[in-house]
Amino acid sequence: MIDQLNEKERTLQFQDLIERHKGILLKVARTYCRNETDREDLVQEISIQIWRSMGRYNSEYKISTWLYRISINTAISFYRKHSKRQENTFPLGENTPAYIVENTEKEIQLGLLDKFINELNDFDKALMLLYLEEKSHIEIAEITGITPSNVGTKIGRIKEKIKVRFSKLNKF
Amino acid sequence: MNESELKNLWQTSNDKFELSFAENRILTNELSNMKVYHFISSMKPIKIFTLLAGIIWVSLGAIIISNIFLHAYSEANKFFLYSAAIQILLTAIALIIYIFQLITIYRVDITEPVLRTQEKLAALKTSTLISARILFLQLPVWTTFYLNENMLENGSPVLLIIQGIVTLSFTIAAVWLFLNIRFENRDKKWFRLIFNGKEWTPLMRSMELLKLTEDYKLGK
Repeated sequence: MIDQLNEKERTLQFQDLIERHKGILLKVARTYCRNETDREDLVQEISIQIWRSMGRYNSEYKISTWLYRISINTAISFYRKHSKRQENTFPLGENTPAYIVENTEKEIQLGLLDKFINELNDFDKALMLLYLEEKSHIEIAEITGITPSNVGTKIGRIKEKIKVRFSKLNKF
Repeated sequence: MNESELKNLWQTSNDKFELSFAENRILTNELSNMKVYHFISSMKPIKIFTLLAGIIWVSLGAIIISNIFLHAYSEANKFFLYSAAIQILLTAIALIIYIFQLITIYRVDITEPVLRTQEKLAALKTSTLISARILFLQLPVWTTFYLNENMLENGSPVLLIIQGIVTLSFTIAAVWLFLNIRFENRDKKWFRLIFNGKEWTPLMRSMELLKLTEDYKLGK
């Protein structure tokens, strides 16, 4: 258990943990923040919460499950008090990633996907992220606390919305 | 676009995103800051200032009022004394409850499943409404602290009637607000008007989130 570690071991363990799983932090930050500065702030905040929570790791769950819970919980609640929450718009501006500004079909699709995610509520964002990360319904249920059958229903609805959104794009 | 195309699209954009992210600077260089992270540093400066101002107000008020009660009660203006005592007492109760709730929120285990954690946090944040309700109970004493016995005995009857109406109105308003400022009334116009300021935004969002967690639990 992590809580048995002394300060130095804890620091090393933390650095190793972050290094191995930084992708989770970055993907959660990407899902919940459109602005690059906000994303950096959120990754920082998640790191702090992981550091604070190291004594609470429950080996019954995978480490990725534990990290997703902390990261998503931080993104939804702790971060909301600091962030100037973006509304459901996604203007192309100086903070827009370069891959969206480029005008190929793929870039347009990427922009549309980001815009779609941005419009979802906080819990649906989490479901969408975990679905895109190919997590099983059981794992998504463990992370979110929603029953596996409910996860299936919710994801089904989100997928339907995406389908409609992308089919509209194809008409142009 | 089919499912696998969508997931590929997500993965491609993530690869590009991760490459452009300055994670090393953020994830490792700030470790020393994380070690000194504590309850106070998790709060916004304005909140710390408000809490400090409240603590100073209550402490000074309590010292002055208790001194008057102990050493100068017979000479003191009773209207002022009791009005101030009620104001300080209600502020102190609201402050203690608020600090207790902030500490409880800070201690919530965020390693638990998202829905459970968010429900707990949103419910706790929403419960900070109790502090606002208690503070509204002070309304009537702001209409009585300047009165004195001479005003009641020799004052103009018209002014005394106006005074009585104002105090009574404030009392009714205080009790009504105390009873009605509740989560269930969050969508009412008067509620939104009272909690309209920027400082109430996190509270209003917590209430929205609480509603959302309820919907999710019901499978809506």
